[in-house]
Order: sequence, then C-alpha cells, then structure tokens
Amino acid sequence: MTKSLPDQPTPDAPEDDEPLDLRAGLAIVDAQRRAVRNATVDDRLLFAVWGAAWVVGYGARWWGATQDPGGPGEGVAAAVFGVCVVTALVVTLVHVLRATRGVRGVSRSTGAMYGWAWCLGFAAQGTIVGGLARAGADDVVITTAANGIALLVVGLLYLAGGALWQEKPLYALGAWILVMTVVTSLVGLPAGHLVMAAGGGGGLLVGALVATWRRRTA
Amino acid sequence: MTEAELDPVIHSASRLRVVATLAALGVGDSIAFPRLQKLLGMTAGNLSTHLRRLEQAGYVTQTKTHEGRTPATYVELTTAGRHAFERYTQTLTALLKGAQP
Repeated sequence: MTKSLPDQPTPDAPEDDEPLDLRAGLAIVDAQRRAVRNATVDDRLLFAVWGAAWVVGYGARWWGATQDPGGPGEGVAAAVFGVCVVTALVVTLVHVLRATRGVRGVSRSTGAMYGWAWCLGFAAQGTIVGGLARAGADDVVITTAANGIALLVVGLLYLAGGALWQEKPLYALGAWILVMTVVTSLVGLPAGHLVMAAGGGGGLLVGALVATWRRRTA
Repeated sequence: MTEAELDPVIHSASRLRVVATLAALGVGDSIAFPRLQKLLGMTAGNLSTHLRRLEQAGYVTQTKTHEGRTPATYVELTTAGRHAFERYTQTLTALLKGAQP
C-alpha cells in the first residue's frame, strides 16, 4: 500500500537553495551526529543495567551465603541473582535490536558476530560446569568454577570489544573484570561474591559514568 | 578561502542534514529509508528529492531489496560522498576560523 504524500515539495524547494549560514552548517553537523548517537546503542544504559544487576545479584548471593549458608535464604539469593542476570540480558537484547533496526552492513555483522561470541562463550562455560558436576565435583568447586569461567568470558569479551571498536574504557573495564576474577578466585567464596558485587558491579557502574561523561564532552 | 569553495551539493540545510546523518553511521553501513526519515524528521517526498540529488552527484547509493515480502530501500553514503562531506566540514571549520575577529 502506498501512502499519499500531500506535503511533498517540488524538487529543490526554494528554502533549500537559500545560502546556508556557516555557523548553522556546523550546528547541523553536530546535531545530526548527536541524533544518530542517541538513536544507536547506548553504552550508558548497558553498563548501568549490568552494573545494577551485578551489585544486586552478587550482593544477594554474598548475603545468602553468609547469613543463611545452606538454608532457604541461599536459594532465594540464587533466584535473585538469576532474575537480575535474565533481566539485564533481556534489556540488552531488546535495546540492541531496537537501536540497530533498519541499519545493516559492516557494523551489523560485526555486532552479530560479537553477540554470538557471548552465546558461545556461555554455552562453553555451562558445558564445562556440567562436566565438573558429572565428574563428582562438590558444590563449592562447581560454584567457584561457574563463577570464575563466566567472569573470564565477560572480561575477555570486553577486552575483545574494546580492541575491536577502539573503545579504551571498554578495554579497561575488561582488564578490571579480569583482575576482579583473579581476586575472587584468591579470596574464595562467599567473600568472592562481595568482590564481584562491589568491584565488578562497581566497575560497570563507573563505566556508565565514564560513558555519560564522554557523551557530554564529545 | 571563500564560501564558493563549499560543495554546493552539500551546502543546503536539508542535504547537509542527510549527509551528516549518513556520515555518522559506520563505514560500510546502510540505513533503511523509514529509519533515516525518522532520524531526519523529513517527509518521505522531501527526503527522496534530496537523496536523488545526492545520488546524481555520486554521494549516495540507494539499494532496493525485499525483507520477506516487503520491499525495502537502503541508503548508503558512497566513498566519494564521505570524502566530500569530510572536505566540506574541513572547509567550513577553516572558514569559521578565518571569520573569527
């Protein structure tokens, strides 16, 4: 069905041939740059959502493991963690799909390949953890490995993303997550959950602030 | 340096907006016509007119395709268009610097 276009102007409508003021020209360029940036993937939102998910999710797991070890509180904490991660994942997918709608080409295929790298990384993580469980590993070993490998995937993919898009803050965040992963492994659980809540989640929230500052100064 | 050196194809408010928007996308990226229209807040007819002019200058390509059964048009800035836009903004900045008291 074709829509009628009653307000279609004649080619080269007079207002378009009027001489353009130089300053107005520069303002147009800046405004359109901002408009495109605001309509595409918003790193502030993604960092903030994941930062909040980690602070609340890992905070809950630390609380559950210290306040009610082995009790129902720990189960509730694990459920809170799951809800936080799934919510952040859904927000990310919906936002990225909406923001990239109608755009195709190099950045779309790069984004899709990067997105699949996350899926494959976590599929491998799940498989390794399943393998450990089948091999008879106890709960502490399974939780430690599940956490550590998941964080390794996150840290490495942030590093890769930072290198790919030449985003130094993302690269720095990847390195920071890996440092937190090492610290978590060294302190063990449940203290490791607190490290991930404060250090990992905190790092992501700092990432959101850096992204906000970069947009303001760009 | 004078204003006469500014590319007349780009030196119009509407076409500058179109080119600046397309240049803000990544190299090798194209955008669906309705999404571009939304980003620019222009009518379909007005946008088509300016795209045709930019296409004639070799600055823009329009690719017609199908998404499922729905026809879709994707717009992309050509390499020549990107260079022209870079030259335009450089000239504009230089002119403005020269205009400073």
